[in-house]
Amino acid sequence: MLTKKIEQTKKDFTTEFTNVENSSDLEKIRIKYLGRNGTISELFDRLKEADKKDKPLIGKNLNLLRNEITSQINEAKSSFSKQRKSETQSLDLTLPGKKYQIGSRHILTQTLDEIKSIFKSMGFSVHEGPELESDYNNFEALNFPEDHPARDMQDTFFISEDFLLRTHTSPVQIRLMNKMQPPVRAIMPGRVYRNEAVSARSYCMFHQVEGLYVDTDVTFAELKGTLVSFAHQFYGEDFEYRFRPSFFPFTEPSAEMDITCFICKGSGCKICKYSGWLEILGCGMVDPNVFKCVHYDSEKYIGYAFGMGIERIAMLKYGITDIRVFFENDFRFLKQF
Amino acid sequence: MKISLNWLKQYIDLEGISSKDIVHKLTMSGLEVEEVIDQNKLFEKFVVGFVTDKEKHPNADRLSVCKVSDGSETFQVICGAPNVERGQKVVFAPIGTLIPNGNFKIKKTKIRGVESHGMICAEDELGVSEDHSGIMVLDADSEEGTPITKVLGLNDVIMEIAVTPNRPDALSHIGVARDLAALFNKKLKIHELSLDESNDDINSLASIKIEDELNCPRYSSRVVTDIKIEESPDWLKHRLKSIGLRPINNIVDITNFVMHECGQPLHAFDLDRLNGKIIIIKSTKTKTRFTTLDSKERELAPGTLMICDAEKDVAIAGVMGGENSEIYDDTKNVLIESAYFNPSSIRKTSKHLQLSTDASYRFERGTDPGNTMYAAERTAQLLMEIAGGKIAKGSIDIYPKIIKELELKLRLSRVSKILGFDVSKENTITILTDLGFTIDEISDDELNVTVPTFRPDVEREVDLIEEIARIFGYDNIPTIPKISIPLGAKQDETSFTDHLKEYANSLGLFEMINNPLQLESLAKLTGRAILVSNPQSMDMAYLRTSLLSGALSVVSRNLNKGEKNLELFEIGNVFNLYKGKNTVNSFDDYVEDEQFIFVLTGKKTEREWYSEEKDYDFFDLKGIVNTFMEKISLDNVLNDSYYTIDNSIYDYCFTGNIKDQLIGLGGKVKSSVLKQFDIDQDVFCFEMNLGKLKEITVPEKSYNELLKYPKVVRDFAFIFDKAIKFEEVQNLIQKKGSKLLKDVKVFDIFESIDLGKDKKSMAFQLEYFDEERTLTEEEVEKDFSNLIKLVSKGFNAKLRG
Ligand SMILES: [Zn+2]
Repeated sequence: MLTKKIEQTKKDFTTEFTNVENSSDLEKIRIKYLGRNGTISELFDRLKEADKKDKPLIGKNLNLLRNEITSQINEAKSSFSKQRKSETQSLDLTLPGKKYQIGSRHILTQTLDEIKSIFKSMGFSVHEGPELESDYNNFEALNFPEDHPARDMQDTFFISEDFLLRTHTSPVQIRLMNKMQPPVRAIMPGRVYRNEAVSARSYCMFHQVEGLYVDTDVTFAELKGTLVSFAHQFYGEDFEYRFRPSFFPFTEPSAEMDITCFICKGSGCKICKYSGWLEILGCGMVDPNVFKCVHYDSEKYIGYAFGMGIERIAMLKYGITDIRVFFENDFRFLKQF
Repeated sequence: MKISLNWLKQYIDLEGISSKDIVHKLTMSGLEVEEVIDQNKLFEKFVVGFVTDKEKHPNADRLSVCKVSDGSETFQVICGAPNVERGQKVVFAPIGTLIPNGNFKIKKTKIRGVESHGMICAEDELGVSEDHSGIMVLDADSEEGTPITKVLGLNDVIMEIAVTPNRPDALSHIGVARDLAALFNKKLKIHELSLDESNDDINSLASIKIEDELNCPRYSSRVVTDIKIEESPDWLKHRLKSIGLRPINNIVDITNFVMHECGQPLHAFDLDRLNGKIIIIKSTKTKTRFTTLDSKERELAPGTLMICDAEKDVAIAGVMGGENSEIYDDTKNVLIESAYFNPSSIRKTSKHLQLSTDASYRFERGTDPGNTMYAAERTAQLLMEIAGGKIAKGSIDIYPKIIKELELKLRLSRVSKILGFDVSKENTITILTDLGFTIDEISDDELNVTVPTFRPDVEREVDLIEEIARIFGYDNIPTIPKISIPLGAKQDETSFTDHLKEYANSLGLFEMINNPLQLESLAKLTGRAILVSNPQSMDMAYLRTSLLSGALSVVSRNLNKGEKNLELFEIGNVFNLYKGKNTVNSFDDYVEDEQFIFVLTGKKTEREWYSEEKDYDFFDLKGIVNTFMEKISLDNVLNDSYYTIDNSIYDYCFTGNIKDQLIGLGGKVKSSVLKQFDIDQDVFCFEMNLGKLKEITVPEKSYNELLKYPKVVRDFAFIFDKAIKFEEVQNLIQKKGSKLLKDVKVFDIFESIDLGKDKKSMAFQLEYFDEERTLTEEEVEKDFSNLIKLVSKGFNAKLRG
């Protein structure tokens, strides 16, 4: 009996619901079915009369019916209140879709992430260190003696006599090696500062990725292999490369890696200063003096290190000619990437 | 540093090697050539011209109309120089010539109505000097039409080399030639000296005494008498000009020449102006004032190494001479100083005085202590040859503690171990010998290498390995095609923030990166800011104490550009001094934290065909923060409390607290704060301390059985007093409801006249279920009715419908 009545109520509701034209109609049927003394309530009252064994099933069906009616009414309610206009419109599929927005990471972060994922695939961990550093970690431990002209290579913002804003991510090498024993294989991204006048070509801070590998059988040839593989994964296959001797106090031998200028393909242009080559990173074999500072045995262990600037890479890759645009955070710029 | 290829050829035979090859080899061995000026190309089009005629310009007093012949043709040329005359041989630039100074091309022009087909050049226009007083007049026997490169010897190649700080030995022509000798396996030729000494004994003319032996380990000297100060001969002027130096007089030019030849800075004192004819080298004990030869009075720090005579200071050692002992036009007798100073002492002085000279630049990098006597004698010889001087007999060479050549052991096996490649013993020995090292073979694997004193950078075996590698060529060392990876655990300390960025993106926020260096007022807005002791400008003198002021600056800049609707975030480090600390002397004086900020401002939705425009409000911010917390599984760990608390930044704010630790704070930014940034629309921010967030251990996720039984949903709506808060009602329902009540949400709130003054309606949806069974109607109904009673009673509320 009750089961039949439930079926009937369902049918009645469906008929009446299709005829609803406005919110006052809707409110009427809501009270009729869902009100304190409405049909559903009445049916629940009659549940007592049912056979004990039938009760659970009937109860379940009644619940389902109530949920269905409730949700249909709620849905209709919100469409009445919000979409009055579209009711009168025929369905015009040529109207633009509604707007949604996915944000994005800063282009420097995206560039860094790409570099990170390449090195992670080559078995490198990722570590970080502070930006406000001690003179010891930033210079002394990296074999920049006090009163040595090598210090002129990196104009420094000092906080006090012994503290400064790190001029490179290399102090993270020191922190890492102080913390763990070889093998150490890690990249260390981060923000660095240089006391240089702000212009289109230089800014007082920028970002670097540092790399370090220390083990018993590390070689210069392996350093070259690793970096060439990185460059191919990052810049593509279509370039030549060369390694030039250079000088960094914390590596010996030291090198800079150039690749064919991808603007002019090597024929010479303004970007590569008419050399046909673009310098993309600095690298070398870890200097024994650095190992001494972190108490590694430099007879037993050999290491290589490398570092590159993210801004420079992003500028070359995306054709950005003014470094300041990265830090203006113009919303139109942020949305481009 | 500029190096002239013609000059280099004095010391090495480079016949048959192209300048392109030389430049490439230098760059690839560590002496990076940054710029090449090939004069043959630069002056290709300039020729000798013959002025056949000169008339006054009809419309301009100062100009003349000349006829210039290049041997085959005659051109009409307008010239403004006062010294142009008929019959002169001049430097002529025909149409199409690129003028090096100013980088412009000669075109056919009309000057004051008269046509001009070329230019007669002055020295400055060729870039050979700064002289623009008149045109260059060439020797009368120069043949017209001859390329100027031949007539003026402008057939050099000038290289600008970036010498790294470890290579003081390469700061001279001989130094560069030595590397080339090793690169091309040639012999280095050093000028041999033959001094024609007079009968005057140097010891009767002068004496020298070193008081500070630590900072002046060696002082060598020669005395030359009866000098005549004159202009230098052409060859000497030419050499100096080719590397951009201005000739002064023969004495100054010779000392400059010898320095650029062999790297040893020299100083010539007027012997007659040295009291007591004595040189004493000592350091100052107190602050001293001293006037250098550029007529500037400078304050010297105690401990500055000075050159003195019997009564006064005469030079700042290694940096600059004094006005009081300068060479004058009537100087006759000179004492040549050729010394080796302690590099760190010279660097300190140069830094302190902020005065860097060619001499101090070399001394602070380390000159060759073994070469001082050669340089003094080379200078003396040239003074004799060029300035007519007489070289006094003997020399003074104070060298109390001889700096010995370093001896190093080199293992060929170690070379292979580090480079990953075998360089043959033969190759190794050739390379090192060509560079000036002396080799003794000890065993098959071991060499004993004596390091020359001009290579202070080579101190260890690994430094020798670099020498071998760079001359052998880095590109000749193989690039291995595979690597080995240690199988330890890999860590990524950035993965947490990477995830945060990902979630922020999916919530529609864009990442910004701001400069942590700020204006004082901005940095001090939110904390105890750290001052940079040598800032670029006051705009960037302090480190940020939170991400807020940077974010508001970005909002402000964007508003000015018409970008008014912004959804932003940033992750970055902020710096705060601890209470009671005013400066950073240890890691315990300040804290560097990683922070995260969300920023919402402007319109959430613009006017669209499907919606009305709507501004961002507090609940957008709260929703984003809550969603975020849920995503990083901290929604149950974080208690947020949202009420007006006393805060200098936010009007109404909510805070995220974990066990009494404040890890996040945010809300609507106070208009007084926004005013500082010229922002005139609401801005909502939330800041979090990521360091503290990272410390929280999030419970491991585990699988929850999916619900098998139906949920029962009930609604009710009440009319409340306006003052009643949602949370109070929610708390009561949750507390008093049965265990089966799993969720309460508010789905409708409104006020209207019908409801009555100070009244509002709030409608709630209640969700019931049990994981183990289907609920019966009675148990839900019982709880639901009970809650209706409790809410009505508890808040004096009236049930609707
Ligand atoms: Zn290019």
